[in-house]
Amino acid sequence: MPFREINSKMVEATVIPGQKMFSQRGAMLAYRGEVSFTPNIQGGQGGVMSMIGRRMANEATPLMTVEGSGTVMFGHGGHHIQVINLTGDTLYVEADRLLAFDGTLQQGTMFMGSQGGVMGMVRGQVSGQGLFTTTLKGHGAVAVMAHGGVIELPIAPGREVHVDPQAYVAHHGDVTNKLSTALGWREMVGRGSGEGFQLELSGSGAVYVQASEEKL
Amino acid sequence: MSGPVVFDPMTLPSDDNVNAYTFCVELKGSQWFLQKGKMIAYYGRIEFNGIGHGRFQGLIRTSFHSPLHAADWVVAEGSGKMLLADRAFDVNSYDLDDGNLTIRSGNLLAYQPTLALKQSIVPGFLTLIGTGKFVAASNGPVVFMEPPLRVDPQALVGWADCPSPCHHYDHGYMTGVMGGLRAFTGIGGASGEEHQFEFVGAGTVLLQSSEALMAEQPTGAVPQQAGIPGAGQPGSGPRRPGQRGDFQHHFGL
Amino acid sequence: MFRLQGSKTLAVDLAGDAVKAKNGSMVAYDGRMTFKKMTGGGEGLRGMVTRRLTGEQMAVMEVTGQGTCFFADRASEISLVSLHGDKLYVEASNLLCTDSGLRTGTTFTGMRGSAAGNGLFTTTVEGTGQAAIMSDGSAVALRVSAQYPLFVDPGAYIAHQGNLQQHFQSGVNFRTLMGEGSGESFQIRFEGEGLVYVQPSERNTIGGNV
Repeated sequence: MPFREINSKMVEATVIPGQKMFSQRGAMLAYRGEVSFTPNIQGGQGGVMSMIGRRMANEATPLMTVEGSGTVMFGHGGHHIQVINLTGDTLYVEADRLLAFDGTLQQGTMFMGSQGGVMGMVRGQVSGQGLFTTTLKGHGAVAVMAHGGVIELPIAPGREVHVDPQAYVAHHGDVTNKLSTALGWREMVGRGSGEGFQLELSGSGAVYVQASEEKL
Repeated sequence: MSGPVVFDPMTLPSDDNVNAYTFCVELKGSQWFLQKGKMIAYYGRIEFNGIGHGRFQGLIRTSFHSPLHAADWVVAEGSGKMLLADRAFDVNSYDLDDGNLTIRSGNLLAYQPTLALKQSIVPGFLTLIGTGKFVAASNGPVVFMEPPLRVDPQALVGWADCPSPCHHYDHGYMTGVMGGLRAFTGIGGASGEEHQFEFVGAGTVLLQSSEALMAEQPTGAVPQQAGIPGAGQPGSGPRRPGQRGDFQHHFGL
Repeated sequence: MFRLQGSKTLAVDLAGDAVKAKNGSMVAYDGRMTFKKMTGGGEGLRGMVTRRLTGEQMAVMEVTGQGTCFFADRASEISLVSLHGDKLYVEASNLLCTDSGLRTGTTFTGMRGSAAGNGLFTTTVEGTGQAAIMSDGSAVALRVSAQYPLFVDPGAYIAHQGNLQQHFQSGVNFRTLMGEGSGESFQIRFEGEGLVYVQPSERNTIGGNV
């Protein structure tokens, strides 16, 4: 468990030689020991092509590699931090919400459209964060940022959850997403605008929702 | 369902937090220095006066040493309980016992006149000296750490007892071949963590949990004399290599 | 049934009944929900209309359904208020949600509104039921009684309930060391019997400056 929650806006990570971590650029608040912070031109893993792909996809949140021996405190912008522990499943999260994560987790980029079809693309436009979403898979911990704290809502078969895309933070598990709209919602917020949709998540897993419609 | 706790003058705490964002000061014929705009409500008979008020001359001589900062402060005196808050930031009180503590100017809300407030020689910071209580705001709860420690400048709230911080530049960054290139092209990107404040020796360092700074309060200009930090033209220091801006912005980094 | 999930998200369990909520404040739901924009006309509807000096703005939706609906707004802290036939006065922008047992209306507040920069009208909520109010930082509820009048910065005021009289009061005088920037500051003095809710933050005010 590499993250210790110091308060709702700050986590501490222990860095051990040979075990690297990744963090968002500028997210280090303080450290002790011999720790180095190296800008990451590859966007973590996957080589330069992947970086270019990510940049085009507007998912090029600059990461840095954190290595060495010591402890590091992370926090950013006064945002609340949610630590999510992965036990073999996949976390879907927009890259700029990633504060820090275990280097052992396998990074990927997923085109949300591939799951949600055309609707998935709309979702990307809605949340304003591009069509690509970062995936992290494996065993380890991820610290995710949210505006105003998050609630975790379980998703179970027959119990799908609808989320305002503006308030969506991340989800994990075996979950499919599509866009849907509740009766009356589109008429209310204005027809034709992307805000008329909710992200409908079904399957089994959990979704994290922040107490705000503000993006980071 | 539970509503919020209801307070009245009897149940409000005395010189303590009401919740994470609100602090209650009890006045019993006593005085407090208060930054303007931070009082949200009060019970009792309390007067608020600008510190230029003639009869505070003695008070100012002993407790207030930040002349050009004076317009931002008032003296509260009387009897009652008043609530202090600052833009929903976390608020906490600190007790000094014949001690000293240096704090970022924007974070200080109020202090007892038994403390003396002085400008720090580190620009943008104020030093409180003596015995008494003060109230400060922070973005997220304050975390206390002991040196040795390196701190992101923006996460620093203040420090007590230890000697002034010095600048620390990441070795790899200073010598890196990419260093110059990065600064101009944005390729590779700077890690954003090449520069910290380093604290050594005995003392306590106060950290806030975020890098979002509260608006800095002017601490007043320093006399234009040789040997005084910040006495030159403000903000005209040499550019740090890799400082954000310039080309990096064009690359969206 | 209103409950808080954390301090910033309101969870409302619905079983076919309806609640009124700030437009667009739904962040998630399970089950089935229907949303209806509340437009002008009709008694209860016009009530919650946010009226401002600069015009009018519709701000309310009605949510009906089966399941749990979650509401939140810009990371504001939420306080639950129970009403038993009494009346709650709340700034329209601080009202998140009311249940079906409550009626909403608008009251002219005159001076205070203009000084606090938040409109000349205040929303009133009355009946028996639950309301959720929002604040920037956790609200503090302060009791006013005959022997304890309360002074509040207009920018920090969000709501009050009970039998209270408000007086707009100036009289805090600043004379600064520089002999400039002296100004007056306004406060609201509450007298009577009731509760006042304040937030640990101030809207931009014209008057309040202590």
